[in-house]
Amino acid sequence: MENIKTSIVNYLKDNSFMDKNTELEDADSLTQNGIIDSIGLLELLDHISEKYSIEIPEDMLIPENLDSLQGLTNMITNLTK
Amino acid sequence: MKIDAYLTAHAGKTPSRIALEEGNNSVSYEALEASVNDIASSMREFRHCRFAILEEMGIQYVKMLMAVYRSDNIAIPMPIEMPRISLEKILDNSHVRNIITTEVQYSKFGESFFERFGTVIIVSDDKPVRYIRKEFSIESNHPELKLVLYTSGTTGTPKGVMLSDKNLTTNAASIIEILGLTPGDKGALVISPHHAFGNSIINSHLMAGGCIAMGNMKFIGSVFSLIESGVTVFYGVPSTYRILLRYPDRFKKAFSNVKIAASAGGGMTKQIVRNIKELVPEIEILPMYGQTEATARLAYVPKEDVEEFIETIGKPIPGVILDVFDPKGQSVGPNVTAELVAKGDNILLGYLDDEIATKKKIMDGWMYTGDLAQKLPNGYFKLMGRKDDLVKIGDHLVNPREIEKTIENNNKVSAVFVVPVAHELMGTAICLMVIPEPETDIDTLFKFCRKNLPAHLYPKEILFIDHLPLTENGKICNRLIIEEYQNVKNCM
Repeated sequence: MENIKTSIVNYLKDNSFMDKNTELEDADSLTQNGIIDSIGLLELLDHISEKYSIEIPEDMLIPENLDSLQGLTNMITNLTK
Repeated sequence: MKIDAYLTAHAGKTPSRIALEEGNNSVSYEALEASVNDIASSMREFRHCRFAILEEMGIQYVKMLMAVYRSDNIAIPMPIEMPRISLEKILDNSHVRNIITTEVQYSKFGESFFERFGTVIIVSDDKPVRYIRKEFSIESNHPELKLVLYTSGTTGTPKGVMLSDKNLTTNAASIIEILGLTPGDKGALVISPHHAFGNSIINSHLMAGGCIAMGNMKFIGSVFSLIESGVTVFYGVPSTYRILLRYPDRFKKAFSNVKIAASAGGGMTKQIVRNIKELVPEIEILPMYGQTEATARLAYVPKEDVEEFIETIGKPIPGVILDVFDPKGQSVGPNVTAELVAKGDNILLGYLDDEIATKKKIMDGWMYTGDLAQKLPNGYFKLMGRKDDLVKIGDHLVNPREIEKTIENNNKVSAVFVVPVAHELMGTAICLMVIPEPETDIDTLFKFCRKNLPAHLYPKEILFIDHLPLTENGKICNRLIIEEYQNVKNCM
């Protein structure tokens, strides 16, 4: 669980508008805080699909799953079970 | 008629009809009218003053926009999705002293951002409108000015396009006519409302007395749910469709009840049209062409011609005249490339506080689009690239988009981009960036260029790339191609 989250944070630090020293809470909104935009989200999804060898069905592409570290971590955990 | 007057008319005739939807919230015409009046009444002391509007897409944004209109002030929507530095550039350019925003944006942007304003008005869902500061200043504005839209360019000096009630109402009426919009239609607005395309969706659906379902393109699952909520007209830039088409099964399901898939902000490709038609054969695809300077729309491709004429911009919308002028301002014949010009009640008043730019844009009553085009024998128009994108190659003025088309149409390639590069002898030469198909062969491409292009256009180099260097709204421009070329070179 913790590994997945760290991996996403590292990805965001390298590939989004997130600063190296931003402290992000698990439930903070990635879009509302200006960390990621729509194209950035698509790239993140491609990254996740490849890294964890999962296919994310489009009905899971909703804010509850994508807009926070917690949501993303839970989604990946569920899909890799 | 004023653009917000239609709201009052519909609130009187069909008070309970839903005007706006956002997630699980919705607002009827009657409720929207009441909110607009409420916000406007707090701004009555201002007389035709400029008001920046800072809010994301949603019901609250539309309320504030209409309230600025209603109070006879001038709306300047901030493209809030842009970086703060771009917003500050726009604020500097627009010399705006007043701002209206929401509690959420006020705390997000922070007090220091608002220091530049004499007046700050805060709107919230559940509390009365409040002032942080109020300061009246006399402004001298164009008497017909109603709305200032900033073009989406991210580099250079921003330009504010000044629009009037007449601009807004005539363009909205033309759009209603070509789309056949009725009060029964629900339009999907998932692109920015702060630019011309999004703004035109708000105006035309509210004028028609219909409903607008508002969302954004961030969460694809939510976009599909929004479409499935009974949307009859979907609007997108070409990349919107490209993104949604990545999920063909859901696309098919979601669009099965949509009547029209309209596009603007960039050319729809044959491939996108083919992909949509394969999934949803019944849908009407309606590509439109326009500019912020024309309020929004100038031309469209009628549905019966979409298959055959997808590479054109079709014909002018009702009330607009298009022509192609040579550098002397003379109309040219068919199949000659020159500048596309337009006339109509939707043409801008001018650029905000910039008379020089206005004089260059509007000459003898014609607006110069900056787009190169050809008239086709059937009266349609075909775009041939941006005038600014013409480059001198070995002393010849060359249109990169024409070279790209020639190579694309005669070779097995997915897409070709011409990159101007410095050349010792010619000053500038070209390289090609190519998105290959499995059969693409570099030697064959070099041979084709050798045989079919003049010597000065023989590419010094051909590079394979894997994605399109397009602007956010799906347009091709030299600047992005050159940037992409530099990226590719740096990675080699």
